[in-house]
Amino acid sequence: MIEFLALTGLAAATLRVAAPLLLASLGETIAERGGMLNLGLQGAMLVGAFSGFMGAYFAGSLWIGLISAIIGGILTTLLFGILVINLDLDQVVSGLAINLLASGLTLYFTRVLFTGGVSPYLGELFGPMPIPFLCNMPVLGEVLFTQTGFVYLGLVSVPLIYVLLTKTSFGLRLRSIGEDPVIASYLGINVVKMRYAALLAEGILAGLAGGLLTISMFNTFDPRIVAARGFVAVSIVILGRWNPWGALAGSLLFGFTEALSLRIGIIFPELSGASINQLFALLPYLVALVALVVGGRGVRGPASLGKRIGRER
Amino acid sequence: MAITPLSSPFFEKREVNSTPQNEEYAIFLKNISKTFPNGTVANQDVTLGILRGEVHAILGENGAGKTTLMRIISGILKPDKGEIFIDGKPVKIRDPRDASRLGIGMVHQHFTLIPEFTVRENIALVLATSPWLDLKKVDEKIAAVSKDMGLEIDPESKIESLPVGKRQLVEILRLLCQDVRILILDEPTSVLTPIEVDSFFKMIMNLKSSGKTVVLITHKMKEALQISDRITVLRGGRVIRTIPTSDANEALLASLVVEGMLPAPTLVRGTPGDIILKVESLKVKDDRGRIAVDGLNLTVRSGEIVGIAGVAGNGQKELVEAITGLRKVESGAVKLLSQDITNKPTRFIIEKGISYIPEDRMHRGVVLTMGVHENLALKCIEKPPMSKSKIIDRRSMVKNAESLISKFSIKASDPCTSVENLSGGNIQKLIVARELSNGGLVLIAEQPTAGLDIKASEAVHQKLVELRSMGVGILLVSSDLDEIMKLSDRICVIFGGKIVGEFMPENLDVERLSRLMLGAD
Ligand SMILES: Nc1ncnc2c1ncn2[C@@H]1O[C@H](COP(=O)(O)OP(=O)(O)OP(=O)(O)O)[C@@H](O)[C@H]1O
Ligand SMILES: [Mg+2]
Repeated sequence: MIEFLALTGLAAATLRVAAPLLLASLGETIAERGGMLNLGLQGAMLVGAFSGFMGAYFAGSLWIGLISAIIGGILTTLLFGILVINLDLDQVVSGLAINLLASGLTLYFTRVLFTGGVSPYLGELFGPMPIPFLCNMPVLGEVLFTQTGFVYLGLVSVPLIYVLLTKTSFGLRLRSIGEDPVIASYLGINVVKMRYAALLAEGILAGLAGGLLTISMFNTFDPRIVAARGFVAVSIVILGRWNPWGALAGSLLFGFTEALSLRIGIIFPELSGASINQLFALLPYLVALVALVVGGRGVRGPASLGKRIGRER
Repeated sequence: MAITPLSSPFFEKREVNSTPQNEEYAIFLKNISKTFPNGTVANQDVTLGILRGEVHAILGENGAGKTTLMRIISGILKPDKGEIFIDGKPVKIRDPRDASRLGIGMVHQHFTLIPEFTVRENIALVLATSPWLDLKKVDEKIAAVSKDMGLEIDPESKIESLPVGKRQLVEILRLLCQDVRILILDEPTSVLTPIEVDSFFKMIMNLKSSGKTVVLITHKMKEALQISDRITVLRGGRVIRTIPTSDANEALLASLVVEGMLPAPTLVRGTPGDIILKVESLKVKDDRGRIAVDGLNLTVRSGEIVGIAGVAGNGQKELVEAITGLRKVESGAVKLLSQDITNKPTRFIIEKGISYIPEDRMHRGVVLTMGVHENLALKCIEKPPMSKSKIIDRRSMVKNAESLISKFSIKASDPCTSVENLSGGNIQKLIVARELSNGGLVLIAEQPTAGLDIKASEAVHQKLVELRSMGVGILLVSSDLDEIMKLSDRICVIFGGKIVGEFMPENLDVERLSRLMLGAD
């Protein structure tokens, strides 16, 4: 019985820790389908986490925190847009530059605003919102229906974004830009507008993914709070073959290994011990590496992904 | 170079109505000029009227400004000066959407289909007006238009799995699904085989009889004479002359297209020596894993041009890719002199002396975003004088480029300009220049003159013959039968991945050759 409860808990935790990865990788999926490899996702999450925390802390409202997280995410991806869409700079370099900028700025402001450079804790956070009736179901009730709003949002977004990409004109146009922006422009598609729209969507999702870390999960801000989640999310997109359902599967895989590494001691008490725990903390990254090597072989993403548009042909 | 137009097309004699009246023109261009940011003058003071319901051919040498002019009409480029009238009314065409609202559609010199998409998705892309994709409606439209035009295209098939001829039809189909009235076709026939050209022209006549206006760019005089109502010749960005096709003939057109065109010297036959390239019971699979080259045997001797005649899609592509190391050989062997080069890396094969002029010039022949000088040095960059102890010597790269540019009369604003700034034909010249100048034993030439103007084609032909007399063995794969018959010392017919017939030029039976090409013998 104890073991079973632990497994239910593990499943619930999997979803919980998968949520930021899911939101971020869904956003990145949209951007990459439009031919933009945004490594600045990491930075957008960090800015979202930071602005979400600041909004919640200084305004004293989690909702304001939520909105400012979204705004922070959007501003960061739009900055990426200016660099790669308007200035046609290298996508990888632009993304990495944004990450440096984001970590520099958030570190700076944390030091300036808080004594000792350590953020205080928020009084409250977005906790689980059990869904009436459904949450009383055995097992599923706890795993699926007693989660935070962020988890629900991530799960609901998967089919929505799938439909957006495959069943709408917007999706078709975006994918055509991902294949060849020059041809798309010959066909009368407004590449600039479409790419900004994709980045807007990514900004919202990345902002939420970052914000959830501060205002729903850790309750505080630390410049290292995002860890490598942004980069993991980018690899999830590749693993998920640029498909929202794939992003869901990938996020769950990483969520599971992360949850497992956190709970390994609970499930197998005989294995606990400081050094073993440290080793297990590496697990998600190891899985990321193995999964990319195994699952990323021979897959072909959008043809123009990561490429500069160049001059008109 | 100042060229005075012999006559302004506006006052040209026309079949429809002899009084100049603007509304009769589907398109009227007035004093259009275009200079690119790098200083290249592509169009100068072009005045040109396209009558409603006519097929208007545009001729001109590589870099004459044909594509630029058409891109201006379809809203991709903006003219620096001049006015455009559609149906007699002045219009501003700011982007391709404006053009399509005016009923103008263009088939570009290089395909603008998304290879990863299906036919249906490619067409839905330009039809999509509602937020939801209504694929059923798209299918109905495709079905209706294909029925009208007598086309047979499966909307489910992915573009990359279609042969080039079919892709060309999909391009047209897509325009017709958009209900365009004016079709601009930029060298649509340069990738088609003679049989495909015939059915393509039938379709154009169909379009014409349904009241559409067609502007057709081509380098082939015969085609222009066969299909068009009027012909305009561009040279150096200017209109040289617009004439009714009934008043034109090949000699006149040739003299208008290129100034001082010399009559082509009669070509001598080669004197083949020993076998240098030998292909033995070669089996190769295509992209979809089906056997495309099926136990093929072939030899090329030194000082010999072997022409491969065949309808596209009969294994030519896979054969060439197998020889050049771009595709895996399932069984059989490729031998260069006495050395087995089967399944060897491409780099190795190049170093052993196989040069290659690829059909897919944009993807296989050049790096578009790199300079002309760099592209010309790509295959000899590791050797002196291009590099000294592995360090690239930019100056000799530029010098090499300058000499090849003048030797092959490539039109480039400077030797270091990026290849994407060259016109289609000049990109081809660049590839030919690189491959012909690196001194190999064997040259594989795939459609070497596709998209080249008559002068440049002639120059390439001369060059091939010159190489032959130096002892190079040449495998010529071309959909242009005239070219094959003109150059080859031996003609092999390929069908279903096998050589099904062989002719010597002196006892060539064209009828039988055509039958063999279709597998009907
Ligand atoms: N984007 C560009 N930037 C700079 N120069 C250009 C650009 N596009 C074309 N040119 C130059 O303008 C001139 C006209 O080019 P254009 O493509 O119109 O020729 P064309 O008549 O279509 O030739 P072809 O038969 O080879 O296709 C050429 O000299 C070409 O190098
Ligand atoms: Mg052209």
